[in-house]
Amino acid sequence: MTHHSHYAVTASDVIAAFQRCGIDHVTTVPDMLQIALHDALEREPGIRQINCTTEDQAIEVASGLWAGGARVAVLVQNQGFYAGINSLRALGLDSKIPLLFMIGQFGREWSNLGQDPRQSSRRMVRMLEPLLELLDIPYWRLEGPGDASHIDTAWRASRERSGPAALLVGHFIGFDAVESAS
Amino acid sequence: MMTLMQACQIVDEAREEAIIVTTMGAMGATDQLAPQRPLTVACVPLMGGAASLGMGLALARPDRTVMVLDGDASLLMELGGLVSVAQAQPDNFFHIVINNGVQFAGLGNLQTPGHSGIDFTGLARAAGYRACYRFDSAEQFAAGITEVLSGPAPAFVELAVSHNDATLGPANPAVEMTDARFTRMGDELRDIRARLGAGRA
Repeated sequence: MTHHSHYAVTASDVIAAFQRCGIDHVTTVPDMLQIALHDALEREPGIRQINCTTEDQAIEVASGLWAGGARVAVLVQNQGFYAGINSLRALGLDSKIPLLFMIGQFGREWSNLGQDPRQSSRRMVRMLEPLLELLDIPYWRLEGPGDASHIDTAWRASRERSGPAALLVGHFIGFDAVESAS
Repeated sequence: MMTLMQACQIVDEAREEAIIVTTMGAMGATDQLAPQRPLTVACVPLMGGAASLGMGLALARPDRTVMVLDGDASLLMELGGLVSVAQAQPDNFFHIVINNGVQFAGLGNLQTPGHSGIDFTGLARAAGYRACYRFDSAEQFAAGITEVLSGPAPAFVELAVSHNDATLGPANPAVEMTDARFTRMGDELRDIRARLGAGRA
């Protein structure tokens, strides 16, 4: 039996971290692993969630928001992150815009939970960290309930580096009510 | 039909304190008209990204008019962005598309997909823009832009624009991209951020 809560941060933990960072906008192409977070954000009055039709747009809207003074997180899936590489290159890397990403590891097999995602049998999962290293983007794994503080660390890194920083969401973000009842 | 310079001149004269996002052909014409104009950013090299960059600025600064000078081929690269804009409904967002029917205008003049009659204003209207306009001459556009900018938004404006002859050929077989082409977007975004007083990182 897989104890999902052992491998996940909860939506309320993420939102609490966002609030500590002063994040007031999220741009996204919604991610299956982050459905609980997307759902919670719809009920969170202090953070506006802006849905886009492509990850390119999510990165571009986030950059425009930053230029206007907003504090933004970009929520995407691993395959969406791969699709948005050129906008990431243009705005995050060449233009040095601070961008905080939360990237869901869609397709990860449950037998890999608690293991090294680089050893996943799924290419979509195991190629993410080497790609981030190629792009010189620092990243932190969210692999369990104690990892939410990595969000604060990644946020600071994106500001200090003036560029992207990434949080890798290793499993489905927890629904708070369901998790507390189980 | 109007020239690209006429279109950009009319926008420049009407902009007042607006933020302007340019790309592709409009970037070159705007550079010629007013180099380093404040509150202006060129979305380059990032074909297709101008409207979304402008939408972010518009959402962050609802007190400011934001005008995007997009291209027809650029818009087609992120056509779903029309839906993203319509969903977010920034009421200070004006999306102006330079429709000249070609890519690499004045350089290679390659036909744009849909050059033979795509209905851009129809697409924007169907996506949910609150107002859509098309202007076929400089005279019409100059007479109508004030009404556009005082009307409902997000608004979409299609301009029928001519293009110059291609210059790339045996006598001019290549062009090199300068370093500045890769750094100006970030520099201009930081300048806008500073001018808007958006201090916190």
